[in-house]
Amino acid sequence: MTSLHPAESLQQTAPDAPAIVVQGLVKRYKQLAAVDGIDFAVRRGEVFGLIGPDGAGKTTTFQILAGVMEPTAGTASVLGRPPRDARLKIGYITQPFSLYLDLSVDENLRYSAELKQVDEALFEERRARYLKLVDLDRFADRLAGQLSGGMKQKLALCAALIPQPEILLLDEPTTGVDPVSRREFWDVLAALSEEQVTVVVATPYLDEAERCHRVALMYGGRLESPDTPARLRAGLGLARLEVHASDLERAEQVLQTLEAVEDVQTFGDRLDVLVADPERGERAVADALSGLSPQVGRADPTLENVFVTRLRQQGSDPPLLNFPHPLRRSAPAEAVAIGAHQLGKTFGSFRAVHDLSLEVHPGQIYGLLGANGAGKTTTIKMLCGLLPPSTGSVTLAGESDGLRSSELRRRLGYMSQKFTLYDDLSILQNLEFYCGVYSVPRRLRRERIDWVIDICGLRGQENLITGQLPGGWKQRVAFGASVMHQPEVLFLDEPTSGVDPLARRQFWRLIEMFARAGTAVLVTTHYLEEAEHCHRLGFMVAGELVIQGTPGEIKARQPGQIYEVVSADLPHAARALRSLFAQASWRVALFGDRLHVVLDEPDARLAKLQAVGHTRKIEYSLEDAFIGMVQRARQEGS
Amino acid sequence: MKRILAQCAKELTQFRRDQLTVALAVLLPMATLLIFGYAIRLEANNIPLAVQDLERSPTSRAFADRFYATNQFVPAHWDGRGAPEALLDAGTAKVVLIIPSDFSRRLDAGKVAPIQALIDGTDSNNARVIRNSVRQVTNFYLSTRSETAPTIALRSRLWFNPGREEALYIVPGVFALVLAIWPPLLMAIAMVREKEQGTIIQVFASSLSAAEFLLGKGLAYFLVGVAQAVAVFGLGAVLFGLRLAGDPTPLAIGTVAMLAASVSYGLFIGTRTTTQSAAVQAVATSGFLTALLLSGFIYPLSNIPFPLSLVSNIVPARYFIEITRDAFVRGTGWPGIWFAPLLLAVLGGVFFLASFRSLKRMQLPG
Repeated sequence: MTSLHPAESLQQTAPDAPAIVVQGLVKRYKQLAAVDGIDFAVRRGEVFGLIGPDGAGKTTTFQILAGVMEPTAGTASVLGRPPRDARLKIGYITQPFSLYLDLSVDENLRYSAELKQVDEALFEERRARYLKLVDLDRFADRLAGQLSGGMKQKLALCAALIPQPEILLLDEPTTGVDPVSRREFWDVLAALSEEQVTVVVATPYLDEAERCHRVALMYGGRLESPDTPARLRAGLGLARLEVHASDLERAEQVLQTLEAVEDVQTFGDRLDVLVADPERGERAVADALSGLSPQVGRADPTLENVFVTRLRQQGSDPPLLNFPHPLRRSAPAEAVAIGAHQLGKTFGSFRAVHDLSLEVHPGQIYGLLGANGAGKTTTIKMLCGLLPPSTGSVTLAGESDGLRSSELRRRLGYMSQKFTLYDDLSILQNLEFYCGVYSVPRRLRRERIDWVIDICGLRGQENLITGQLPGGWKQRVAFGASVMHQPEVLFLDEPTSGVDPLARRQFWRLIEMFARAGTAVLVTTHYLEEAEHCHRLGFMVAGELVIQGTPGEIKARQPGQIYEVVSADLPHAARALRSLFAQASWRVALFGDRLHVVLDEPDARLAKLQAVGHTRKIEYSLEDAFIGMVQRARQEGS
Repeated sequence: MKRILAQCAKELTQFRRDQLTVALAVLLPMATLLIFGYAIRLEANNIPLAVQDLERSPTSRAFADRFYATNQFVPAHWDGRGAPEALLDAGTAKVVLIIPSDFSRRLDAGKVAPIQALIDGTDSNNARVIRNSVRQVTNFYLSTRSETAPTIALRSRLWFNPGREEALYIVPGVFALVLAIWPPLLMAIAMVREKEQGTIIQVFASSLSAAEFLLGKGLAYFLVGVAQAVAVFGLGAVLFGLRLAGDPTPLAIGTVAMLAASVSYGLFIGTRTTTQSAAVQAVATSGFLTALLLSGFIYPLSNIPFPLSLVSNIVPARYFIEITRDAFVRGTGWPGIWFAPLLLAVLGGVFFLASFRSLKRMQLPG
């Protein structure tokens, strides 16, 4: 591994002193306590994860640690000083993105380097190094506003790294970042940690939290005592069963009533079932699902299990309520709700979308997947008539022209990546506005608005100004606003990015509920275990739809074989295996606390895998498929 | 200093990037100058005048023609039927002159010949101007008739603006108006945008001080303001023939002081508001109203009643108008207006300190 940090920049205080110490920290906004007395310490070189639901107080904690906000009570010290005095040693990635959209990548980097007093010669050298590291060197002249979501986050990381901080504060840095880039991002963090950079990171992706040295769960402004992921999982006191069955939805309903079962969660194409006693539980599950050809396997609980179980104990599971007065739809199932024929879009000389054809029928959920910048958002904008295509044609709810007519627009719902709510209106005013825009009948408005407020868990807070809500909550309200009129066609562009795991599950139940009532849904997501909920998937690489099919078909069409490797020293195992593949190091990918390795000719290399850790053959997951497709395309491209 | 320049350079890059802002920054001041320079005319010209000549003698006609001989009055169309007041009601005439049937007889007899002028008093200021004009024309007519010269002849002469060119009065005021509105508007938007887009958090997270941040940002928009000032001064010279009447240094230094005050005012508004629309409204309303009404631009400062007159003391445009009027019309130079740049600098300092105060912690509110 190349050295990311020259030694001279490292601090000279006692090497074993904690880098960050927080004691009795409290932050109140008027009567609301955002942070309500938290204590923790972070070792130098440690990667410290903060996980928690939306509105738990994570962002406030980061703002205090970064020295941009005063606590109401308690102390925080960074590198033995008040955070304000340590600012030049801190790199801070905020949420949302806080670089200048109207400056280019280079100009942003130069300005933030000047803010942090990096001298000119050092800047030039580091700029080149870090841009290459985050794979943005080709885009140095592009305006930040024209980068995709994931590229913006990489730029933010690059800007934070150039002053070579000793402390990195990362507030949900991988929100909206595709699975491949997320892994690259975390590889960079791991390397920095080995260079003794201290990292505090919040993330809604719990597989990422597995890569932290210690993780603390935060909710309601309080922090549970931090611990290693392994101990947190063990501390749950439950065993996990992975259950595959022919009808997951039925199986989940059956298991929820079972006494031996503590919790059931759908995760991708399987159910995660938590039981107190693995043997008894396994028998009970197998018996209960006898008609559904179950396959039950034992496994360790994941951090996601820990997180979800804890939050359910806290009672923060958002309620699932039926949509009031749903309309009956009688569109024939073979009708085309969303159709694209050889769709193409070019911006100047840049081909954003090329020759894309797809069909979505009423009641179908279609998932559009792809890396950041693959053209998903452009496609959605063309499909819902916001952007005229350069070539090809679009059919919407049976109509192929007049896509912008107000009559047709009333039958659509669109939730874009950027918040579509008015930040300076209250939640209630926003919802009332959208009721008006989409002509929800007057007699239904009250109930529909109440429904949105209830599913968001915002009862009693309707009059909060929307701009003050944490990102995940805004996302929920925006979703509510886009479905209040029960659209025939629903476009959701990364609806769940930045939303906590519990709320994400609720989102998908709601999406499925609308689909059952006849709505055609087109959705994009970077959580690939969620993509299993889709009836059909389309996979985009560089503006082209390279594969379409059901989740099962897509997994079945992947070449090679996947092996899972479990090892006590994961970083070491990963390095050992990657060196094995040289140019194709993508074949080794981290999944939480284990490795997935793709082998095209298993026989030749299997022994080497077994030498590194416990190895077993597994089925392709959608995430494996995603990584494989993106990386193979990247290799062909270069 | 290096960090101030870095801040300034970044600000100018952002400014340049937005073509629309650049266009507006140049075009709006010029448009303001054109609109005010051509539209505001305080002196009455081309006043429609109707004459009801009940005598129709050569003398009465000669008297009526005197009015049309000036460039102030033009004949109003009237067929001579009906009551003359109807013309005022219809608005076809602003003034009706009624010459009685015994007009020339009385004049020839050396008696007082009463004539009546009905003046539209809707606009009292204008009515006064018209009345004076009517009186002047009458006096002039009388003086041409009498063979004996009057004992006292008043020959007044306007100093500084001998031709009574209105542009000389209006345009220097518009310069002040332009510099009082547009530079602070751009400044306030640039400041509040950092807050709106959250980019200010990265500034807070660095060790840049509030003074460096404000000075850097201010310097950028000061330079933009200089460009705007040069543009409007140039346009004023080309279109309205304004030339420097004396020493150019008071204008140069005064402009620098005015821009400093203006830009600081923009910073002040920008640091105290949280959204662009609020900032735009605050600057536009406060800047425009004060620069237009409380600066002596149109209404003399001495006419402003007591509590409001205090407000006019902190209106930068008020001092800058004195500077521009002196530079382009009066030409006395430093002895006449030495205090104005000084007071502008003081105002600028006060606004800057006020913005510094609200930002000095360089932290998020709350």
